[in-house]
Amino acid sequence: MDSKKVDVAVIGGGVHGCSTAYHLAQKGFRTALFERDYISSGSSGRSAAGLRYQFGTEVNILLAQYNMKCLKTLGEDLNYPGDLEYDPAGYLWIAYSETQLEQLEKNVRLQNELGTTGSRVLNVREIQEVAPFLNTDGMLGASFNQEDGHINPHTLCFAYADAAKALGVEIHKKTSVTGIITKNGRVAGIHTDKGDWEADAVVCCAGAWSVEVGRWLDLEIPITPERHQIMITEPVERMKHPMTLCLDDGSYWKQCPNGTFMLGVGKEEVKDTSYYASWDYLDSATERILPKMPILSGIRVVRQWTGPYANTPDFQAIVGPTPAEGFYIDCGWSGHGLQFAPSVGRIMAEFVNGEKPFIDVSMFRYSRFEEGELFFEPACI
Amino acid sequence: MRETELLVIGGGPAGLSAALEAASNGCEVVVVDSDLALGGQLIKQTHKFFGSESERAGTRGFEIADILLNELEEMKGRVSVFTNTTAESYYRDTGIVGCMTNEDDYWCIKPRKIVNATGASEKILPFHNNDLPGVYGAGAIQTLMNVYGVVPGKRVLMVGAGNIGLVVSYQLLQAGVDVAAIVEFMPNISGYWVHAAKVRRLGVPVLLKHTIIEALGENKVEGAWIQAVDENNQLTGEPQKIECDTICMAVGLAPTVDLLWQAGCEMLYVPELCGYVAKRDTQMRTSHPDIWAAGDAHGIEEASAAMVEGRIAGLGVAHALDHIDRMKFGEKLGIYWKRLDNLRAGSTGEKIRCGVGKCTCKCWEVD
Ligand SMILES: Cc1cc2nc3c(=O)[nH]c(=O)nc-3n(C[C@H](O)[C@H](O)[C@H](O)COP(=O)(O)OP(=O)(O)OC[C@H]3O[C@@H](n4cnc5c(N)ncnc54)[C@H](O)[C@@H]3O)c2cc1C
Ligand SMILES: Cc1cc2nc3c(=O)[nH]c(=O)nc-3n(C[C@H](O)[C@H](O)[C@H](O)COP(=O)(O)OP(=O)(O)OC[C@H]3O[C@@H](n4cnc5c(N)ncnc54)[C@H](O)[C@@H]3O)c2cc1C
Repeated sequence: MDSKKVDVAVIGGGVHGCSTAYHLAQKGFRTALFERDYISSGSSGRSAAGLRYQFGTEVNILLAQYNMKCLKTLGEDLNYPGDLEYDPAGYLWIAYSETQLEQLEKNVRLQNELGTTGSRVLNVREIQEVAPFLNTDGMLGASFNQEDGHINPHTLCFAYADAAKALGVEIHKKTSVTGIITKNGRVAGIHTDKGDWEADAVVCCAGAWSVEVGRWLDLEIPITPERHQIMITEPVERMKHPMTLCLDDGSYWKQCPNGTFMLGVGKEEVKDTSYYASWDYLDSATERILPKMPILSGIRVVRQWTGPYANTPDFQAIVGPTPAEGFYIDCGWSGHGLQFAPSVGRIMAEFVNGEKPFIDVSMFRYSRFEEGELFFEPACI
Repeated sequence: MRETELLVIGGGPAGLSAALEAASNGCEVVVVDSDLALGGQLIKQTHKFFGSESERAGTRGFEIADILLNELEEMKGRVSVFTNTTAESYYRDTGIVGCMTNEDDYWCIKPRKIVNATGASEKILPFHNNDLPGVYGAGAIQTLMNVYGVVPGKRVLMVGAGNIGLVVSYQLLQAGVDVAAIVEFMPNISGYWVHAAKVRRLGVPVLLKHTIIEALGENKVEGAWIQAVDENNQLTGEPQKIECDTICMAVGLAPTVDLLWQAGCEMLYVPELCGYVAKRDTQMRTSHPDIWAAGDAHGIEEASAAMVEGRIAGLGVAHALDHIDRMKFGEKLGIYWKRLDNLRAGSTGEKIRCGVGKCTCKCWEVD
């Protein structure tokens, strides 16, 4: 088989792969990206498309500050002719129990301390101001940040992919990576169903499918894929309503810029990467959401889809070099990784280039599981 | 949740035939159809049908529907019918089908087997202003006139000179509506000669190698621009203005296969059958062991063939559910295939034979 040569091979054309390839090319690496299906076909294109400052651990809050700054002007910065539909409609985390409210207060305190000034705790009257269509019965309080919001996950991926391509990155769609070549104990390239590529480094951005990639190098990447589902309604007139999330029952819903409402619920789900939806999801989502947002009753659901979360034991990502020399990973983003593409794409390029990452992400290291250094992210559904 | 042995989706000639065959062999059947009445395309067809005697040639379409519905009446104990009900989702993990009755009543059903007889949907051409009120599909015009007794306008430009374009033009003329012209992109008329002769006799020009390029009007159709095309299918000559208040698109149908995609059936693009269709075995079973299809949903053909395909699918289901034994199944299957082969014989059936050949396998490795 004829062999092609690049400096770095990136596995996966989700938002992390595309951003990583873009940042690598910016540093002058000859880069090739391999995507089994089409760009954004994995979790990225199936996500709830949410962006937020509101996280509960220091590293995520600091990365989020950088992400949110970038995402605001990303379309222009990448010269993308399409629309990223960036929409800061706000994020409202509502609490019905004292424990949840305490957690939200703790998160906001940490965010404020680290310089995220837009996040605040709201009482019920203030909730009614920012979300007038919400039924606040039984609600104790909420946390809120007006600058959190929405972005189109497809155009977000395309924008990075196109920008990468403009810098000379080879983008191989419909190309499956089937193995990793090693020589003298370090990574030397990849096998694909369209031939082999030589590469000095390989970055795995294969999302929920990373487990298989790790096995090629005898690495146990502790990701449990978990199906998650979303429904979308017909479009209705735009109303004042932020993305609303409820940790008590896992439900979340928002109005997208085109007027449709997105309805989701994080619950016990099938543990695989299958794309099959389930019939009872309609009930589980509407039972939770309609009492909280009665105005939505009667709106028709037009579509339902699924995508996998890449869950790790502490719901935090795995980022950085690995024991296999030349093999880097950026995966395990559970249900919140879309928005981390700007910061982490940059960090992956810094790792490959032997630099110190511009934000310390050592707590995301691969070895933390062996070391027992788990750290849980409290702000996720 | 409601359960049934067989769910038939679509109550056109294919679906009704499948339901009749399965029920007459002892299956318990539920039929759902989006429309207010059963019969599918048949109920709008006032003309006498073509085809062979055994498939009711010479009978008018809506009368064929009545015959099927009368037979269904006799099976009442075994067949439940839900009209105004669209099957709109198939869930692979459980085999459950979600249905919507009357746009606001959502319910689920768990069938053991499914026959997908959802018919076809009309194709539409891209041209300027093709979303103006007054631009119709031929099916919509047939429904307006022949089911509801409403004429669509005063003067119609027909796009497409296949059977549907010709028959609908004739029906418009019968209803006192002017047909300004029939434009046809191809160099020849693909519809039957008799249909073409009828409209020509009434003075309607059939403009071959012509297409529509723009609909005129602000809020509704007030005319159209048409233009000739050359050997390379490029526009040529001066555009010509047609006075009309209605534009009717009769530019072909595509099989309605959404639920088959959802179910993960193996699909193939077969131009002779007018789009994506499910790969099937000789009893109309798709690659999904619980799902059969029949009629236009299995490839655009005719009501006559749809009825036989429906029979075969219903027979296959009855056999899969052990309602009839292997011998009887094989015997009946042979008879139905003879009828299908008859319908598809000769030069007119060549396209269909070729298309069906591309997507039919002898047997799935399921039993
Ligand atoms: C229902 C749902 C809602 C979500 N909501 C949000 C949200 O609101 N906000 C947010 O920030 N995040 C959200 N997420 C999480 C987010 O989608 C993911 O964290 C993020 O998209 C991960 O991006 P990725 O590039 O790592 O992975 P992916 O987008 O999954 O990309 C991995 C790609 O790798 C490809 N691939 C895998 N193996 C191979 C191989 N061997 N060869 C070639 N290609 C391969 C796959 O085809 C895939 O395209 C949500 C996720 C889901 C499922
Ligand atoms: C103008 C015209 C003239 C024709 N002339 C002849 C002729 O002379 N001879 C001849 O043999 N054939 C003729 N045909 C063709 C014939 O009408 C069709 O081939 C035949 O009706 C196909 O039958 P079917 O049961 O597959 O589909 P259909 O008759 O289209 O029935 C499908 C049914 O499924 C329902 N449905 C679809 N999706 C769903 C869903 N998701 N849930 C519930 N219900 C659903 C629809 O409402 C419809 O009632 C003609 C067609 C036209 C338009």
